[in-house]
Amino acid sequence: MASAAARSFVFRQHINTCRLDFASCLNIKSFYSSYSANPKEKSPEHYTQYHEVSSDNWKFVERLKPPTVVPSFPKNGSYFSDWTPPPDTPPNLPYFVKRTKNFMVPVYLNFEAIRNQRKITMVKHIEGDIWAMEKDIKSHLEEVTKRPVVSQVHEVGMYIKFRGDYALHVKKWLLNAGF
Amino acid sequence: MQPSSKKDRKLRQQMVCYLSPNLQIQPPLPIIYSRKLAFPPKFKAVRQAWVSNMDTVEEEKLGLIDLHPEVFAERPRVDIIHENVRWQQLYRHVSYANTKVRYEVRGGGRKPRPQKGSGRSRHGSIRSPIWRGGGIVHGPRSPTPYFYMLSFNARLNGLRSTLSAKLAQDDLHIVDSLDIPTDDPSYLEKLVEERGWGPAVLFVDDNDIMPLNITAASDVHGHYNLMPVYGLNVHSMLKHHTLVLTLAAVERIEERLLFHLNRNDAAEAGRKHRLDSL
Repeated sequence: MASAAARSFVFRQHINTCRLDFASCLNIKSFYSSYSANPKEKSPEHYTQYHEVSSDNWKFVERLKPPTVVPSFPKNGSYFSDWTPPPDTPPNLPYFVKRTKNFMVPVYLNFEAIRNQRKITMVKHIEGDIWAMEKDIKSHLEEVTKRPVVSQVHEVGMYIKFRGDYALHVKKWLLNAGF
Repeated sequence: MQPSSKKDRKLRQQMVCYLSPNLQIQPPLPIIYSRKLAFPPKFKAVRQAWVSNMDTVEEEKLGLIDLHPEVFAERPRVDIIHENVRWQQLYRHVSYANTKVRYEVRGGGRKPRPQKGSGRSRHGSIRSPIWRGGGIVHGPRSPTPYFYMLSFNARLNGLRSTLSAKLAQDDLHIVDSLDIPTDDPSYLEKLVEERGWGPAVLFVDDNDIMPLNITAASDVHGHYNLMPVYGLNVHSMLKHHTLVLTLAAVERIEERLLFHLNRNDAAEAGRKHRLDSL
């Protein structure tokens, strides 16, 4: 009610000093021409008729279209691949690794450097104490591979990079940790 | 029309109630707005913010709403905010600086002296770049555009970071709507002064045609600006000290940003402005 009154086009005297001109400012859509304005256009009976089919069949069209937003995964518990769903409760650790929007574990194997194919394992979407996480993963990798592991902690971007192909090891470690 | 105060409003409500008991009056405060969050956050705490009014100069808290942490409580990435501001300033910049190349400088068609015989160095033209007054080799050439498109996710995360920073620094306020009782510019001044909002305020609503009163009142002041949601940008949010969103604007912003964070076809998002594609 108040907004309807406020949007009235009454131009009051004491705002004459304002540079407002609502007739020109308002972005009113106007259609300058239409098919019916054309003299060659005939009345609707001369054209192909159509009738509305039952709108129950629209579901067959809709199920062909891909979903606009990532759909949630089925919660029946049995999955054919290695994939495990994200847990319902977070693990009791000072850090957390969020799944991607496709519910995947955010570990990536990148090939950085132009000349030599340097393999870099990257863990993204880290929240919390990133240094503690780096320490834990690094000690696990050194235990498993029996060699020193070089790592980079990026505190602004909140990711950790390991020099080498440790993607599977890191993924397993994250899944076991409960992320 | 006089700008109303809290006391006047309560008195009017009582009078209206007495004179016409069937008339609907505002329910008693606080009116709790319960918002349903899309993509409810699993482990992140939901943030909350007060909803104020614009009817009176004094602030009246109408209720409390939930804000999605992935939009309003993201770790602010200062580097991404900087990238966005730089992009906004630079993409529209065209440099009109110009210098003349050797063939554009007046003169210089004739060979100054014969090749051999004078004992001096050899030259072909008096406007070559090694001469004083000659053409400039790699100087600015007008017009030079500096257009580039920042990646979609950089722009998306820029908005998230800025909104989060604004909320964290108490520079974000939510109002129910932008309807004010009078179009007097001093009403807005008093309101902003009373509530301790910054010198510059950016009002954001979902609709692009704003109510008449606030349009008239803010038109006089260059530092109170109205903006629809589709115009929301990092530079404007940083330029204005306070950001005031309506409830409709909050809904719209969250819906759009969360859609882009959870969309199925992420590649499509950045397809519009690819410069290398025909």
